[in-house]
Amino acid sequence: MIESILFWLGSALFIAGGVFDLIGAIGMVRFPNFYVRLHAATIGGIYGAVLPLMGISLMAIGIPELPGRFAIAGASFVTAIVLLVVAPVGSHILAYAAHKSKSVEWSPVVDKLLEDEEK
Amino acid sequence: MSRRIIILILLFTATLIASFTATIILNPATPSELKGLAKYYVLNTINETASPEAVTAIVWDYRGLDTIYETLVLYLAIVGGLAMFKMSEEALLKTRIGLTLLSKTSTKIVALLIASIAAAIVFHGHLSPGGGFPGGSAVAVASMIIIPVFAAGTLIEKGVSSTKLVAIRGAALTALGLVALLPVVKGLEIVTNQRFYPASILGLPISGSLSLYNLFESLAVASGFTAIALYLSIPEEAHKGGSGA
Repeated sequence: MIESILFWLGSALFIAGGVFDLIGAIGMVRFPNFYVRLHAATIGGIYGAVLPLMGISLMAIGIPELPGRFAIAGASFVTAIVLLVVAPVGSHILAYAAHKSKSVEWSPVVDKLLEDEEK
Repeated sequence: MSRRIIILILLFTATLIASFTATIILNPATPSELKGLAKYYVLNTINETASPEAVTAIVWDYRGLDTIYETLVLYLAIVGGLAMFKMSEEALLKTRIGLTLLSKTSTKIVALLIASIAAAIVFHGHLSPGGGFPGGSAVAVASMIIIPVFAAGTLIEKGVSSTKLVAIRGAALTALGLVALLPVVKGLEIVTNQRFYPASILGLPISGSLSLYNLFESLAVASGFTAIALYLSIPEEAHKGGSGA
């Protein structure tokens, strides 16, 4: 009983990750400039990678006949946590560097960082 | 589509088709039994080197002298590279700001994770896949993410200079050579393992000299690659300014 609940929960997370990947890909194509595109790419990088990995770990626990299922579950869980720490910071550093080097042309409505720097 | 892309696609398809036909025609089935040399290693590694890891046993015991000279070659390459970059580190002291607080915090977490995995690779290298070079390279990865995030100048201010790193590397290589030379004192051959070094200390399996080699090799690789990364982070203007700029 608990195994099938875990399996279906994992599958739901897996499919949710796919949906987020699709949303991220559409945003990547449709958005106008670097920063919002980076936002879309990060959606794919975080929700599109962390959620499926969590799903895999739940699904692996939910299949009792799978050999080494706890190793699979643990490895995917740890990978998900590391990605959750690393992926946002990667995008953050990219955006920070692009803003500092002024290499991206854009027309912002509000640019708080620039206002802070000009003070 | 330009001609170059068409040629690339053609080459790619040709490679794919060739590999598939080769697989079908040659049919490289997995051999059902081991050949002579492989059988020798599988049967005798654990007795002759006290290590269940045949790769480490071959690299540091059966062909140990070769590996030691290989390490020496890499040492000379790195020292030569540093000599070509010859310049003071004052240029680096100007870059001390680094990236944002957010990236610094997460880099601390990730660098700690990488360092602990590297330690596992090194200290378990004689029992499971891994060893000195992969472990040292993992440490070098940690230092390569630390250097851009915290800025090279901060590291130099904290006392991590490339001179010191090269000194650590030289000391580690000297220790490695001593481990190889020590059996000669008792009249054994150079790079002797089991007839000189114990298989275990206090119940811990250390596989004779293999774990010592792994430890010193990892120190040498980590410090050498960190020194190279420090030099590569010198800004381009400093290079153009001539020596001592």
